[in-house]
Amino acid sequence: MKRRLGTALLRLFTLQGSWNYERMIGVGTGVAEEPLLRDLPGGPGGPAYRSAVARASRFFNAHPYLAGLAVGAAARAEHDGAPGDQIERLRTALCGPLGSVGDRLVWAGWLPLTASLAIAGVALGLGSAAVAAFLVVYNLGHVALRWWALRQGWQHGLKVVVALQAPWLQRAVALAGPGMALGAGLSLPLAAVWLAGAFEPWARVALAACAGVGLLAIRMLPRQVSGLRLGLGLVAVALVVGWVWR
Amino acid sequence: MSIVLYRVDDRLIHGQVVVGWGQPLEAGFIVLVDDEVRASEWEQDLYRMGVPPHIEVVFASVEEARRRLGAWNADPRSGILLARDIDTFAAIVGDANGLIRRINIGGVHHRDGRSERLRYVYLTDAEANKLRQLAARGIEITAQDVPTARAVPLQEFV
Repeated sequence: MKRRLGTALLRLFTLQGSWNYERMIGVGTGVAEEPLLRDLPGGPGGPAYRSAVARASRFFNAHPYLAGLAVGAAARAEHDGAPGDQIERLRTALCGPLGSVGDRLVWAGWLPLTASLAIAGVALGLGSAAVAAFLVVYNLGHVALRWWALRQGWQHGLKVVVALQAPWLQRAVALAGPGMALGAGLSLPLAAVWLAGAFEPWARVALAACAGVGLLAIRMLPRQVSGLRLGLGLVAVALVVGWVWR
Repeated sequence: MSIVLYRVDDRLIHGQVVVGWGQPLEAGFIVLVDDEVRASEWEQDLYRMGVPPHIEVVFASVEEARRRLGAWNADPRSGILLARDIDTFAAIVGDANGLIRRINIGGVHHRDGRSERLRYVYLTDAEANKLRQLAARGIEITAQDVPTARAVPLQEFV
């Protein structure tokens, strides 16, 4: 079974490849869950297997790293002979908590934390070693989280809520936000000094003004301006100005 | 205050509801109307997980919802009432219309027999008809997944 769990884990990496509005990552969860359903009574192609795979492929949306928890739990519930509608309700009920825990833990925690430490590392002169360390450390956490989620789901089935109530997870979610803020607060001034170091004083003032106006714009026009749009816009302006100047 | 948002969403409680709507509406309670969830402890545990402690979650059956609608609307806090599908909402509205003047279609996703009306709204013909009937009774029905999106009037998607 360990082997099948490994296959399911590998398939979980393809989760978002079949993203669409009709089922979101539902087709992806069906593909990932399929190896775990092969030894249902009747084997692959049997009625239990077919209806389980169909259920596993219905609409689903959650954080991609934690979706394995729903995949494992649904597969376990299929093996336990839970009624189909109960398994469907389990998948639906997991969308919300897996989405919010994953967003807080990864998108608003682990990713910006490790990325800002890497930026601080580059600013302190560690160069590409800091980038490599970021890729390794971030993904160690990422893959460990995927594996943990799949294993917990597979272990607990319909009672998988106990996995989400684990004290370490609660603590990690609570620390993710402040940890990220600490990392960003450390790396921002270091990166600013590192980036602006080579400029004339007047250019540094212009840089600070750009950053200030950008922050204000993001705050006041959140629907029109995002960090990415602003960044790309400034890069375009800089390219044009640099080209004309020359 | 009272119930400030009546929402059809088959994911029930999730980020769009708690953060997207709950924050700007300053929601103090969420009513989840679903007969099955009302009877299932572990489902209630799961739905409660996505909600910060300052928001109360009330689980109700359709029957209880019809009875307590008046009390929730007399609540000093603002509330959000959620149900999974159009049929459940039609049952809550029942014959005693009046309290529910507006229904938000927030997410009804694909299932066999449903066809795409909007990216986040898939309906069977029967469900579309039921929406028309509710609208004919004077309830304003719009589709809107998050507050920053445009509220799409019923005639544009049914």
